[in-house]
Amino acid sequence: MTDSPTSRRHWLFATVAAVALLCAIAATSLYGGIFNVAADVPHSNAVYWLLETMRERSIAVRTAGIVVPDDLTDAKRIASGGGQYAEMCSLCHLAPGMKRTEIARGLYPRAPEFKRGSHLTPAEQFWVIKHGIKMTGMPAWGVTHDDEVLWDVVAFLRKLPELTPEQYRSLVESAPKTHGESMEGGQMDHMNH
Amino acid sequence: MRNILTALAGALASAMLAGSVPGSATAHEQHRMECSETAIHAMHADIQAMGDGEAKTTATKEMDMAETMMAKKDMDACMTHMHKAMEAIEK
Repeated sequence: MTDSPTSRRHWLFATVAAVALLCAIAATSLYGGIFNVAADVPHSNAVYWLLETMRERSIAVRTAGIVVPDDLTDAKRIASGGGQYAEMCSLCHLAPGMKRTEIARGLYPRAPEFKRGSHLTPAEQFWVIKHGIKMTGMPAWGVTHDDEVLWDVVAFLRKLPELTPEQYRSLVESAPKTHGESMEGGQMDHMNH
Repeated sequence: MRNILTALAGALASAMLAGSVPGSATAHEQHRMECSETAIHAMHADIQAMGDGEAKTTATKEMDMAETMMAKKDMDACMTHMHKAMEAIEK
C-alpha cells in the first residue's frame, strides 16, 4: 500500500485541524475560567487521581539518591523532631489528642494526619518537608531549616503513630529548645511561625 | 475602703476575663454539621484523602445516601447520614 500525495495532504490537513481544535479547546477552558480553583469544591475523582499520581511519581523520582541517616530511631532526634513538629506541622497535620483545627478542615487537598501513619518512605518524607509541594499549602521548610533538623522531624514522624496523647505531650515538652538557633541566620524565633 | 473597692473591681474584671476565655475557646469547637452543599463538598474532600479500606467505603456510601436525602429535601435523614460518614472518616 502506497501513500499518494493527495492522501498525505489529507492526513496533514487532518492533523493540523486536530491540533488547532485542541488548542482552541485549551484556550477556551483556560481563559473562560472553566476550572474552579476554589478550595471548598473538591476535584473530580479522575482529576484527584491524576494530580495524586503525578505528585507521588514526582516525589519518588526525586528521592532516588537521598541517603537516609541510620539513626532515625535515636531518642534525641525523635524528641527534637517532636518539638519542631509541634511548632511547624501540627496545626495542619494534627497530633495525638488534637481535634481537627479550622485550617485542617479548610485545606484542599487535605493535609495528611500523620498519627494515622504514612505510606511515604523516610527519604520521601524528608524530600517533601524540605521542598514542599506546590499548590497544597505545604511549604518548603528547607528554605529556612538545615537538613539535620528536617531529618529530626522525619525521625519523629516514624514514631508518631505509636504515641498516645500523653506521650506526645511529654515528648514535646522534653524537646530541646533549639529551633531558633537552627533557623537561617539564627535570628528567627518561634513568633515567626 | 478605696483599697477594698479596687480589689473588688479587680476580682470582677478577672472573673469576667476568666469567663470569656472558655467562651472563645469553645467557639472554635462549635463546628456544627449541616446538610449543605459546602458541608457535602468538605466531606468529599475528607473522603478523597482517606486510604482505601472499609472506613472509606462506609463514608462514601453514607455520603451517597446523604446526598440522596438532600435531593429529597429530607434534611434530618441527610444529617444522620452525614454524621455516620463523619464517624467513618474520623475512625
